[in-house]
Amino acid sequence: MTPRFHPLTLLAAAAAVLAITTAASSWPVSLMVAAGAVALAAATGSARRVLLAGGAILAPFWLSLLVIHGLFYPEGRTVLLGFGPARVTAEGIGFALDMGLRTSAFVLVTMLFSFSVRVPELVAALNSRRLPPQFGYVLASTLMLAPIIAARLQKVRQAQESRGLVVEKGLRSRLNAIRLQMVPLVLGLVHDAGTRAQALDARGFRRPGPRSSYREVSDSMGQRGFRFCALLLAAAAVVLRIMASYPGGQS
Amino acid sequence: MNGDGAARITLRAAIGSFIFHGESTPALSCVEIEAAPGRLTAVLGGSGSGKSTLGRLLAAWLAGGRDGVLRGTLHLDAGGDPEDGSLVFSGTDDDPRIDPAAWADHVGYVPQDALAMLSGVRGTVEEELAFGLENRGAERAEMVRIVAETARRTGLTGLLERDPATLSGGELRRLAVGCAIIDDPGVLILDEPLASLDAAGARTVMELISDLLDRGVAVVVLSQQVDQLTRLASHWLVLKDGGVMAAGRPGQLLGGDLLAGSGVVVGGAQGPRPVPATSAPTAAAPALELDGVSFGFESSGPRSSRLLQNVDFSVVPGEVVAVTGPNGAGKSTLLRLFNGLLRPLDGEVRVGGVGIAGVPTGIVAERLGLLFQHPHDQLFERTAQREVLFGLDRLFGVDAPMKAAAALASVGLDGAEDVHPHELPGSGQRLLALATVLAREPAVLALDEPTVALDAHGFERLTAAVSAAAGRGAAVVIVTHDLAFAQAHAHRTMELKDGVLVGC
Repeated sequence: MTPRFHPLTLLAAAAAVLAITTAASSWPVSLMVAAGAVALAAATGSARRVLLAGGAILAPFWLSLLVIHGLFYPEGRTVLLGFGPARVTAEGIGFALDMGLRTSAFVLVTMLFSFSVRVPELVAALNSRRLPPQFGYVLASTLMLAPIIAARLQKVRQAQESRGLVVEKGLRSRLNAIRLQMVPLVLGLVHDAGTRAQALDARGFRRPGPRSSYREVSDSMGQRGFRFCALLLAAAAVVLRIMASYPGGQS
Repeated sequence: MNGDGAARITLRAAIGSFIFHGESTPALSCVEIEAAPGRLTAVLGGSGSGKSTLGRLLAAWLAGGRDGVLRGTLHLDAGGDPEDGSLVFSGTDDDPRIDPAAWADHVGYVPQDALAMLSGVRGTVEEELAFGLENRGAERAEMVRIVAETARRTGLTGLLERDPATLSGGELRRLAVGCAIIDDPGVLILDEPLASLDAAGARTVMELISDLLDRGVAVVVLSQQVDQLTRLASHWLVLKDGGVMAAGRPGQLLGGDLLAGSGVVVGGAQGPRPVPATSAPTAAAPALELDGVSFGFESSGPRSSRLLQNVDFSVVPGEVVAVTGPNGAGKSTLLRLFNGLLRPLDGEVRVGGVGIAGVPTGIVAERLGLLFQHPHDQLFERTAQREVLFGLDRLFGVDAPMKAAAALASVGLDGAEDVHPHELPGSGQRLLALATVLAREPAVLALDEPTVALDAHGFERLTAAVSAAAGRGAAVVIVTHDLAFAQAHAHRTMELKDGVLVGC
């Protein structure tokens, strides 16, 4: 069981790590952050979900990076392999690896955050800081979109399996199942969103004026201090990066 | 809930007509209704009669201009000038616009689909209850008090920490009622409030309504059943095809033949109980067997905490067995174990004498048809015909269209082939879901709450379908809270309680 962190502490930690990783722009740092995110996910028991969700996003991204930059990198000079107009260059591979690792770190940290934070607590914490409730709701809906889609998809799949759909292990069978499930999934989500909007209106979601929060989110001096330091570090990393990019600085 | 009683408010509506955008015929015409403080009014009608449309208009969940063309007046009277609060709609762009939140301060509404009431972004029942209070900026201490009081009145006290997504159908309905009354509206409109509720849940809601009436709340119940609740109403409005078929006191309307042909189910009447149309089948090899089946959603928990414990069950061809039990007892879970959507932690499920362990649900579905509790979970296609046709080609090849047409006709939906399933009224959706099961002609039919949302015509179709299936030798298992239906149509009734299935 993980210690109960304030949602803004988790948000500040994730944001700081992402800012520092981007500012560092170095593949060893990216690799370390990605590995760290996976290790932390394993320690908190969410490794499977983080890896599955991250994999679904990153696999096609890595593939496109390797195809585009690995084969067609214009600045590539060191040719490792040549296929007519396509050339595998060391520079292209290096660029693809750098971009891929940086994005991997970004995605894995974001996934770890979204699976670790308790969304209603995050919304409550944001509301208590006088942010517009719509902002909190959109953020909550976004973070909860994956579970909502998964739940709706499971319903569609169960309905179809109960009427004879058999999903086998082969790629063809899986693709066929996806084809059968996508339209019902989207239509179902649109239908749900339509009915939910009426309930939200009736329950005063669009009401102007101050809001309150039922859920009390525990905070501490230590966590406030951590958030301050994390954001300070992130800002310092960004400033250093900008300074290094100026003419005369080292990039 | 905030004080000793709700403000005494009268809601009057005179709907000249309401036509949905894109439709040519009015969904409602010439309907007048008054909800007065401390009075229970029942709007009765069969499927598609316009009840839910009326309820949603009264609650401002449907709005003239945005959703259709409304002609008529809505009037909220809080005891002031009778002309105050009158909204006149003439079907033009100049019509008044209702602020749904401000309207909901006075008029609470619980839709037929309880799930549609929830915000979807709250992790526990108590947070979901508090959502409306948060939006009005209530003090936290006050919210805690109101949430606790609402939970007590709706029987949700033991469920406050639960994720709303894990509630059973009956628990969800009580949560939706709680969300509607938490703001203390002067008028409360409830669409089929007793649907899916067990006896205790129905009693809780009945007591709650009685308490609200005592506090001076005007309550309107929309129902297609004459049941224990609607019998308590002081005034009935019977709708058919969007118009008023009859209006008056219950005794007056129940006496004659006025309800005949309205599609309203007259239940709870005293009289001889009907008996199953077919006699109990003689001993044969079971069509479905559960042998020592245990199940819990957390496999690591202690055995005593499991939802189902060591359940033995069998049903033979031609037999109809009803399974009853309180909300949340695991009845729907039991049916999902039948076809492998859920797998037992211990024990074995056999369909036609063959164990289904490791057999994909899609293969089990060749012999076992499952009707889900919520049609919304079962229906996913774009038209009624496509819905019934799904998966039939694997069973019947070129005969699939013929089988689909026959199944649609058997539930009275021939002619609705091209209608989108979500556009059908509640009863129609339930019947379409039933048609998808019947079309497959399974050896075992497992029906989860098949009577919910059915009007009188739907009941006839359902009972005919169950009799016909049993007559051709199918085994039928029906999960239901409708004890009268169970006693009338089942050869045996069993109760699932505290994880154990026992004969009644």
